[in-house]
Amino acid sequence: MTLSELIQIFDTVNFGLVVLDRDIKIQYWNRWMVMHSGITSDQIISEPLFDFFPHLSTPSFNRNCKAVLSFGNFAFFSQKLHRFLFPFKPDSSFGYRFDLMQQSCTMGPLRSDDNSISGLFLIVQDVTELATYEQKLVEMNTKDALTGIYNRRFLESRLQEECDRQRRHSRPLSLIMIDIDFFKKVNDTYGHQCGDMVLQSVAAKAATVIRNTDFIARYGGEEFCCLLPETPADAAETVAEHIRAHIEKMENSFEGNSVKVTISLGISDFVAEDTPDTFLKRADDALYQAKHSGRNRFIRI
Amino acid sequence: MDYCIDTISEEEKEILQEIMNIAFGKAAADLAEVINIFVVLSVPHIEILNAQDLPEYLKSQVSSYDRVSIVEQNFWGDFKGSAFLVFQASAGKELISLFGEGSEDFGSESIDALEKETLMEVGNILIGACVGKLSELLGDAVTYSPPRVVTENSTNDAIPVNIFESGSSAIVLKTVFCFNERNVNGFLFLVTSNDSILWLKKSLATFMEQYE
Amino acid sequence: MIKKILLVDDSPISRRMMKSCIPKDRGYEVFEAGDGLAGFEAYKEILPDVTFMDLTMPVMDGSESTEKIREFNPEAVVIVCTADIQIKSITNALGRGALMVMKKPASKETVEDALLKAEEHIG
Repeated sequence: MTLSELIQIFDTVNFGLVVLDRDIKIQYWNRWMVMHSGITSDQIISEPLFDFFPHLSTPSFNRNCKAVLSFGNFAFFSQKLHRFLFPFKPDSSFGYRFDLMQQSCTMGPLRSDDNSISGLFLIVQDVTELATYEQKLVEMNTKDALTGIYNRRFLESRLQEECDRQRRHSRPLSLIMIDIDFFKKVNDTYGHQCGDMVLQSVAAKAATVIRNTDFIARYGGEEFCCLLPETPADAAETVAEHIRAHIEKMENSFEGNSVKVTISLGISDFVAEDTPDTFLKRADDALYQAKHSGRNRFIRI
Repeated sequence: MDYCIDTISEEEKEILQEIMNIAFGKAAADLAEVINIFVVLSVPHIEILNAQDLPEYLKSQVSSYDRVSIVEQNFWGDFKGSAFLVFQASAGKELISLFGEGSEDFGSESIDALEKETLMEVGNILIGACVGKLSELLGDAVTYSPPRVVTENSTNDAIPVNIFESGSSAIVLKTVFCFNERNVNGFLFLVTSNDSILWLKKSLATFMEQYE
Repeated sequence: MIKKILLVDDSPISRRMMKSCIPKDRGYEVFEAGDGLAGFEAYKEILPDVTFMDLTMPVMDGSESTEKIREFNPEAVVIVCTADIQIKSITNALGRGALMVMKKPASKETVEDALLKAEEHIG
């Protein structure tokens, strides 16, 4: 095959192909790169890559270039950790959740006839669609469909992680179990649609009230669970009271009716001999006590 | 030279040992330049095993570590196989302080992700240096798969089983590395299968020809 | 004038490679030792004109052996031949009295070059 035939292929393929010399100056910039960057070959050939993309000149990128040039190995820039190397607009905005094209890039050596490394190539693959699917899948797997907060599965894996971390570093860790008072009555009086609406607004309110470092999940029917890393029980009480007060004040309107609910909360804080199960169980016991001592309150065990 | 179909002779082992010595010496010198760290690579050790004994062997070798992070990468060429870089799990944090550059935006990624990324990058470079220099001396140029990182509580789940067909033999090249003046050390295992043995024997013979 | 050469290296293969690079037509007498201590003992007995010394060896490593040989005879010519070519190791070997450091693998050219240097040094 002739070089011109090869170039025709390189200019047709659906990924970016860049060739750099040992000084990281651009030797080849395929049509895909022209299309997405808006920079023509004439403008960029023989120019230093970092003149056009200064953000790439990080220690890590430079280290990888040096490694490829010295050892002839490959360097991989995964979408998961790098998002992208070149800031391009996505191919289509339809259905994508990213402002910029997500890329998976591979760098490898180019060798001369005597096997010495003369430069390197960079392949840029658009993985925006894949990353979007992945994000949706992760969401479906970790989020509760009705309320949009985390689901029980996610909470349980997170709880296990936090318990392990707590044990390693003996940092404080607290848990709040939350249950909507007389929820059955809401369902019976206004119907399940109203019940769903209440669940959604309680979840949404609680999620905005907690701190950024806390996690809230729908644990069961009208039960929620909130995990508070790095938080001793006293501080957890403050958070619990904060949530309780906000829910009590909250007005939900459903078909012209104002539907108000309160919540009961049970708090536990992690002790050395706890397992995730015993940790949860204590919060649940506390919640039970809160229910039996009049509801709309928190109890800590 | 003593040609035997599926195993290598004592003499070939010694030649390979010497070539690895030279290769790893070059790798260490270039690593010092690329990553700015003085890396000590021990005299490599060569072991010929049955493939099915491999997981057990790797486990026993790293049993002094209770939690390990393993970077696994395959390489292809005439010389082909898998590389396993085994760090003590705590190495991740130490490596971040060596290589991490806070300025980079990892978005919402947690420290675990940053650790994984750092292990992957350092692993990729370290494996690339060792495999690259070795295959270069043996007159080959290899390509690599993207590295994978596993961190496990026990080595049980981290060591892959069945990477080679049972019944085939495996050459394990082991070296201990440590980053000087830093509390980071670990093992590098290069495992090559039956397929590479014939090529390896030929390349060793070719290498020695210049010294007849 | 170089007559006797001592090779100190724990790897027989490495000694074989080294030996094959030494010119055969000059009547050199080549001796071998398998570790740093054996190398030092051999040096005292043979009193070679040039010693090629590996660094990483069991029993006694090459830098220590070099130092001992140079203590015994400050005029001794020791050429370190090693795979460990990091700047730090090279500096260390030179600091301990090696005349020069050559990279492994040895070749006819590098050995010839080293022998020339040794010859110049001996005068």
